[in-house]
This record gives sequence, structure tokens and C-alpha cells, in this order.
Amino acid sequence: MTLQARQISKAYGAQRVLDKLSLSVDAGELVCLLGANGAGKTTLIRTLSGLQKPDSGEVLWGSKSEGIGALKLRRSIGLILHQPFLYEHLTGFENLRFYSRLYETGLGDADLRKMLGRVGLGSARPISVRGYSRGMKQRLTIARALLCDPHILLFDEPYTGLDQQGCGMLNQLVLEESARNKLVLLTTHELSYIRQVATRFDVLHRGKIAASIPNAGISLDALQEQYSAVVSAGKTTRKEQA
Amino acid sequence: MKAWLHSVRVLIWKDLVQEWRSRDILTSMLAFAVLSLFIFNYALELSPINRADIAPGIVWVVMVFAGTLGLNRSFTAEQDQGCFEGLIMAVPDLSAIYFAKLLTNLLMMVFLAVLVIPIYSVLYNQSLFNWAFFGVLALGSWGYSAAGTLIASMTVQTRMRDLLLPVLLFPLLLPVNMAVVKSCGVLLGSVAGQDINGWLNLLLVYDVIVTMLSIMVFEYVIQE
Repeated sequence: MTLQARQISKAYGAQRVLDKLSLSVDAGELVCLLGANGAGKTTLIRTLSGLQKPDSGEVLWGSKSEGIGALKLRRSIGLILHQPFLYEHLTGFENLRFYSRLYETGLGDADLRKMLGRVGLGSARPISVRGYSRGMKQRLTIARALLCDPHILLFDEPYTGLDQQGCGMLNQLVLEESARNKLVLLTTHELSYIRQVATRFDVLHRGKIAASIPNAGISLDALQEQYSAVVSAGKTTRKEQA
Repeated sequence: MKAWLHSVRVLIWKDLVQEWRSRDILTSMLAFAVLSLFIFNYALELSPINRADIAPGIVWVVMVFAGTLGLNRSFTAEQDQGCFEGLIMAVPDLSAIYFAKLLTNLLMMVFLAVLVIPIYSVLYNQSLFNWAFFGVLALGSWGYSAAGTLIASMTVQTRMRDLLLPVLLFPLLLPVNMAVVKSCGVLLGSVAGQDINGWLNLLLVYDVIVTMLSIMVFEYVIQE
């Protein structure tokens, strides 16, 4: 199974964010999308999830040539965006139970508690999410995203708010999911963490995938160097064009 | 269909639990309704003779204005934490979100009517305890919630949602407003020589058509 973006473009008014971008991620791959602030990472994740339609081009999942916007496919995506999709007046457990029922996962209360334990919230007091810290909300968001046993995991800045232990937990979870032949695409600026698990780094620059860097035991310095080289080469080209 | 009904039930449960704990919607609706009834009472200084003439109008206007506060807030909770997008990713059919919101808003309006009728009866010294009267208010609330839920789902995504909702909604409610006030007037004996069946038919047809149309277009409203 493959997630493909074919020549997708997206503009907000006069500002073109994605420019005939093509991308392909296979099941079992764990791809990290790198890019400067405003490069279009979130727009790409939203478009790939089907929440947002591209102005042109198409997003396909698998060999069925089926649009990702199709509702059935959307339910097989585990999505993390900047907002947590959590209800503040429900407890963490109630939030999970609510989404579990919507997804019709068939998980019982014990399974949901196990899920809370998986993200390190097993011993959290049963208080409403309003009383959670940013890191606790992010942990619960990760549990919510994995609840439907998704085939595709699209995580936008998933390390946000997590402590070191939380970052390690997230790495462990995405590795486990990837090993189960799930497709993982995530964006982050935390290169030191993602370097340990990613199979490939795609650099989004000026609306396109400007470079694809395989992770064959690449060092942090080498990764940063290559990333900077791609971004600065793009800037140089822009200056030359001007 | 089974999955759709299941989603509707789960969404209503979530809305009711949220409301029970936060009391955001009911508090604002009730406070506004009670204050409006007081203001009308002092401003109009009605004689016992013309109270019956004006009762349906006052009760329905108070419910519509108070209900607008509830409609605005019903989608704000989803918008605040990005939960609307979470729902879009999770439900098997997007119309389930609309229908669940419609039923929740309808429940709020019915609850409001249950409280407004006795308060009005005490303040204005005129009994409105009449099942038929309550039934007409419930039918009107259905049409109001059907149109209001759709419009609120559109306006919640805009910056001027508090202003836009009534501006877009109230013209659409013209048939409901007329039918409810006239029907209640006939029931209270203030409107003579009119057949209530015509107004009730109008109300029922409006409710069914708006609900069906809204279910059909809701998916496009959300995605665009």
C-alpha cells in the first residue's frame, strides 16, 4: 500500500504553498518531513489527510486509485495536528471512549485503560482534560490518533510539549507501528529524536520536495548540514532569479 | 443506517455530558430568557384583556433570541480544540454530526420552553399550561433547530459569527415564526376565525423539508 500525492498545488490567496508537489510513501516507511516555518508542512499533512482539498492534483491511497477524501479511507488515518481534538470537559478516559465508539473499534474499558498506560497516562487522576498540562494533552492526543488502529499515521509536530521520556515513548510507538507495516509520515524540528527512527527525510522547500535524504545511520551534524544546504541552495536560486 | 444511528447517539451523549459539566449553553439561554420576560413585563404593562393576544409573540420571540445564543455556542465548543476536524475524521457519515447537533439543540429549546412557560405564567398572571401550546412550541423549535444548526455550522468558521448567525437565520425563520405565533394564538383564543390546521401543516412541511435539505448539504458546507 502506498500513499501518493500527485502534482498537488495549494494556494492561500496569492501565496502558493504547495506547487505541483509529488510524494510517495510506502507501507512500513517512516518518513520525516522537514521544512522551515511556513514551508507548507501542515498544509501538506492536512491535504494528505483529506481535510483539505488541493487546488489541483490528487492524493491517492493504495492501488484502488481511490481519493483519500473518501470517508471510509479517512477513518483509517491516525491524525495529529496542532490542535488536540479533545473535549475539555471530559476526562482523558472519556475522550478515548468517545472516539472509540465513533470509530466503532469495539475496544472495552480495559483496552482503553491499557491505551492510556501505553502513552504514560495510566496513573493520571480522572480529571477533565481542562486540568491537563500541554504534555499530558499531547500524550492523550497520540493515544486518540492510534485508537482506530490506523493504516496511515500523519503526525504534525507530534513532539510538541512532550518531555524527554515522552519523546522516547513516541519514538517507540511509531517504531512499533511502522514494524506492523503501517505508513508513518510526520513533521518535526526535533531532528535529534526523529533521526533515531526515521527511514527517510524529505525536505519541503518552496512548495516542493526539494530533497530526499535516506537515513543510513546519518549523524545529526550531517543531517543538519544537508538540510541547510538544500534550504540555502533554494534561497540562492531565488536571489539569482530576482 | 445502524452505524449512523450509533454515531448520532454517541455524539448526543458527548454533547449532553459536556453541557451538564460546563452549563455554557443553558446558563446563557436561561439568563437571557428570564431577563427578556421581565423587561417585556415592565415595558408593555399589559391589561388582562390583551395579554392573550400578545402571549404567543412574547414567548416565541424570547425563545428564538435565547436560542440563538445556544446555537452559537453549540459549535464553538467543537471549534475551540479543533474537535470538528476530529469528528470529520471519525464519523462514518458526516450527516450524523448535523443530526446529532440538531437533536441536542432541539432538546435545549424544549428544555427552555419547559422553563419559560411557568415563568411567563407567573409574571403575566396568565396560564399557558396547555399541551397543545407546548406541542406547537416543540414543532417550532424543531424547524428553528434544523435551520439554525445548518447556519451555525457555516458561521462558526467566520470571525463575525455572533453577528452573521442571526442575520442569516432570522429571514429563513419567517414561515416558522408566523406559523408558531398564529397557531398558539388560535389555541389561546386570541386569533378568531382562523384554522389552526393550515398553520400546523406549514410548520410540519417546513420542518421536514429544512431537515432533509440540511442533511443533504451539510457535507458540502463542512468541506468547503
